[in-house]
This record gives sequence, structure tokens and C-alpha cells, in this order.
Amino acid sequence: MRKILLASTAVLGAAVFAPSVAEAQQAPTVRIGGFFRFLYGYTQQNNNLSIGTLQNTIGASDPSLAQNQGLANTVSNGNELQRQSARLGHNDFSVTTGINVFVNGKAANGVTYGAVVQLQFNQAEGSARVARRAIMANTTASIDEAYGFIASPRLGQIRFGDEDGPMGGLLNSGFITNFGTGGVYGAWQEFMVRPNRTTTSPGGLGDNTKIIYLSPQFFGFDFGLSYAFNEGEGSGVGCLNSFASINCDRVYAVTGNQTFARSHALPGRVNEFQAMGRWRGNIAGVGLAASIGTMQSGVIRSANPITGDITKNLRSPQVYQAGAQATWMGFTVGGAYTWGNTTFFYIPTVRGDRNMEQFDVGGSYTFGPFTIGANAFWGSYNRVAAGAHRRYGYSIGGNYRFAPGLDFVAEFARHEVKQPGNANLVGTLNYLGTDRVKGSVFLTGVRLAF
Amino acid sequence: MMRALLPLCLALPLVAACSGNNTRMVGSDEYGDWQGSMVRSRPQGASSGIVVFGIDRERQAREAAAMGGTGLGVNAYLWRATLDTLSFMPLASADPFGGTIITDWYAPPSAPGERFRAQAYVMGRQLRSDGVRVQVFRQVQNGTQWVDAPVAAATNSELEDKVLARARELRSQSASR
Repeated sequence: MRKILLASTAVLGAAVFAPSVAEAQQAPTVRIGGFFRFLYGYTQQNNNLSIGTLQNTIGASDPSLAQNQGLANTVSNGNELQRQSARLGHNDFSVTTGINVFVNGKAANGVTYGAVVQLQFNQAEGSARVARRAIMANTTASIDEAYGFIASPRLGQIRFGDEDGPMGGLLNSGFITNFGTGGVYGAWQEFMVRPNRTTTSPGGLGDNTKIIYLSPQFFGFDFGLSYAFNEGEGSGVGCLNSFASINCDRVYAVTGNQTFARSHALPGRVNEFQAMGRWRGNIAGVGLAASIGTMQSGVIRSANPITGDITKNLRSPQVYQAGAQATWMGFTVGGAYTWGNTTFFYIPTVRGDRNMEQFDVGGSYTFGPFTIGANAFWGSYNRVAAGAHRRYGYSIGGNYRFAPGLDFVAEFARHEVKQPGNANLVGTLNYLGTDRVKGSVFLTGVRLAF
Repeated sequence: MMRALLPLCLALPLVAACSGNNTRMVGSDEYGDWQGSMVRSRPQGASSGIVVFGIDRERQAREAAAMGGTGLGVNAYLWRATLDTLSFMPLASADPFGGTIITDWYAPPSAPGERFRAQAYVMGRQLRSDGVRVQVFRQVQNGTQWVDAPVAAATNSELEDKVLARARELRSQSASR
């Protein structure tokens, strides 16, 4: 695989760098852009209201952590801390911003080149009110996407760095997100408390460091390919300690992988390959787009701590997706179907588990400065053998373009997670008996793109 | 599965490259953009944001388009007006990016013993009264030889005035559409 990848990259590189027509060389320009978003959100969520105990209760194992984070009312009770009880209100304001840097240049042979760096300022999801030595503010800056590119009008472009893949957001069709903040793929996820949030969306595949080839469009058709060694981003080895662990970028086997390699926050895929083709055209005045693609990867294996044996006990994620959308007279409708031997968030599954499938539909209508729309998804997954894990979400909303780049938005989103028979869906002892979580968010605010 | 896809994936770029006139580069704004599981809502690509280093060529193009001409390096009204004003003379060369118009020698029917040539320079993208310069050259026939002769001092400025009047006319016509 690696040899083929290197050889293909070399061939493409030689073709891209080959001199073609003489064009005016342009020195690189540096652009600054980004977005600013301010929202009011009204949130109703069952799993932090009806049960009543705080979800992120500090465990007995580390009382100092609770004190360091400044959590009040954490009382020592012998060797065990009493659990904390909390209620969450409905109302909140939220502000999110991002700064993007675009570098673009053009060589004399017509090849364009440059880099894109996208800074985001919502890295830490939870934080104490005042950031301290080891605690980040929840407005901490981080890099979302950072990639360089070399592009030729005839041969396409190569992107290298932290970037979405062809199936992981670049070439998908059927996801109608051009209203509000994106509907069910929008900002409601910033108001909801885990675990009832975060969709299995194209972007959920992540920005792991990869090499991407994006073809030019020919006869309405274009396609993309990408390869990543693992799920790691940025530089460094990723290890949290001075020894190998599940956090390391290059980990390919670990003890307890059926737990560790199946967490949303920890890596599970290795040798990830994405491919997606897209066709766009116009038939009788109706704009059409259709995509089909796949993500194929290996999986982190089990390492026996005593014998050192490495065995494969998880299935290698293989996901497929087909989507299409049509636009006519301001109306856009679309849908997509995703299926494969993985589960929500593209987490690897245990052998014998059922495959996942997910449907996405949406529609929007643009008239003058207004765009209104709705979208929804529903899917079944099977993370544990006890019962089918299901997720539903829908949203309706719109936006009004007040000025170029400035939008007023309003949106309602509903999201539910069900797993009948699973007595602990939330995953904390506080919620024993919960097999369904549901929540709704109404949000409105302003968005500025610059 | 991956092994089966690889030959196809390696062949597709070559197919794309060989599609000749039906091939075009896909713009950055034609790809989706996600931040984790949320779709991002921001402008993308080479025309996003503001230029902090380098030349904003797209802004130049936008301004040129807004002034009524596309692909011109100078003010479109002044350029058009200069061409109209000097159209009674044969054109030797015209550079719309540098803003230079040079005519060939022209002998008026009423005065066959003398001939004129003009050079006009349209300067900049703004429609300003000092945005055009015209220089007229005159020769008179001395036997079989053409020899240089002075031009009345007011000739150049009169031609410039005619260019500016014509540019104002063109602009008013454009605005009333």
C-alpha cells in the first residue's frame, strides 16, 4: 500500500510540475478571512433535568482534580466523594469565531500553490471559569484545518495536511445545509450536553493528516482520493506519556482495544483510504449533483500484555455513501444514504455486530435575501450487542441576508438517541435506567462571514 | 476491496487530464467544508477575506468591471472615449492594459501637404480630468521629404478635452441604462 501510494504521488507530482503553457507568474498573496457567530439558545434536554445529578461528577479516584478545577460542593465522605447534584437552565448565549489565513501564488507554468490555515477558538469543551496552569479556557485557540496545496488546471490538485477527506466533507452530495446554521448539522450541537449531540456527519470523519488528490472537473465529473496512516493530526507523536499508549498517532495494537479503540475521542482507524466521485450538471434547467464514495480503513488490533500476541478482534471500518441533490428556481432538495460495517462516529465494531445505516434528507428554498429549509437524519447503529442503537435528528430554520456576509439566523433542532434494553445509555452510574435521551434547541442570532 | 480500487484510482487522474477542452479546475468554494460534525459557514478560497500581503488582483478586476469594462487595465470610459476621438486616424497600436494608443500618420484631405500622428496615454482606473494625455506630432512635406513641424500648443489640450467630453457622455449613457 505504501509503495503504491508513494509511486502514485511521484507520478502525479511529475505531471503537475511539468511545464505547460507560459503564464504570468504571480507572487503569493496572503488573505485573512473568517467568521463570527453570536447566538441565543433555548435548550431542553432530558438527561440533565429529569435525573438531576451532574453528569461530569468527579470520581473518587482523584479528589484533587475536583479542587483544582474549582468545583464547589465536592464533599469528601470517607474514601469516597459524594456525587454532586446540579440542574441546568434553558437559556444561554454563545459566541464562536474563526480566523482563516489563505496563501495563494501562481508559478510561471500555470501551477497554483498555497496553504490554508483555519484557526478556531472553541477547542476546550469544558473548562473552569478562569483558566489556570493546566486548564484551558474554552475559547482556547487551535488549528482546525491546515494544509498546503499544489494545483494544475489540467491535472487537478494535491492537498497535504490536516483537511477533510473526499468523503469526509469535500465531495458529498445530498446534505442540504444552506439555511440557518446548517440545520441538524448546525450550531445546536454547541448547546446540548453530551451524549445527546454530535452527528455522524461527513465532517465527523475528521481532519487527520492526509494526502488528498482532487481531480479537475471533466464532463461534469470530478473525484477525490485520500490516504492517511492514522487518525492523528498535527505534529508530534500524540502520546500522553513517555511510553506507547492508545493516544499515540502510530498505535496499531493496544491492550483492551475493544474499549479504547471504540471511543469517539480515541483513535480506532489506521491506513484510512477515502474515495468519492461526483457528477454535476444541468438537465432542462434543473441543477443536479450526485456523489458516491467510500472510506476503507484498517483497525487497531488487540495486544496481549502477557504473551505479546497481536490479534484482530474488531472489524475494519468500511463505509459507503451515495447522495444526490437537485436545484430548481431556488428550491433545493437532496438525500444521502450511508451504510457499512461501522457505527456512529465511524467507530469500529466488534465482529458479529450489525452494520450501520443512516438516511439524510433535506430541502431549502431561497427567495431574495431569505433562505428557509429543513433537514433530518435517522439511522440505526449497533455499538453493543444488547440492542440496536438508533439516532434521530431534524431541524427547521432559515436565515436573512442583511448585507453581504451578514446573516440573521433562526433555527430549531431536535435530536434523540435510543437504545432499548440498554440500562445505561448515558454511560455514567448516575443514569442507570436511561435508554433514551432527547433534547431540543431553538437558537437565533447573527453570523458574519468575512 | 482496497486493492481492487487502487488501479482505478491511479488511472482516473490520467483520464481527467486527457479530457482536453472539457476539463476545468474546480474552485475551492465548490468543495464542502466542515468543522468536526458541524458544517462550516464561511467564505472559502482564493477570493475570501482581505489581502494583507500582495496584490489584490481580484479587487482590480472587480473595479474594472464596475467601471464598465472587463479585462481592461485602465478606466474603461476614458479608453473608449480616446479610441472614439482618435478614430478619424488610422490606428497603429492599442494596449488596453498599459493604456497606450498610437495612431499612424494621417494626412487630412483638406491639407495634403501635412500629416499628423497622435499618441494617447490613459492613466489609471479612475475617471479623472487628468486621466488622459494626448500628444500630437505634425510633419509637413518639403519636396519629397516629410520634415517635423511644430504643433499649436492648444492642440493637445483640445484633444484631451474632446476625450474627456466623450468619456462623460459615455458614462452618462451607461448610468441611464
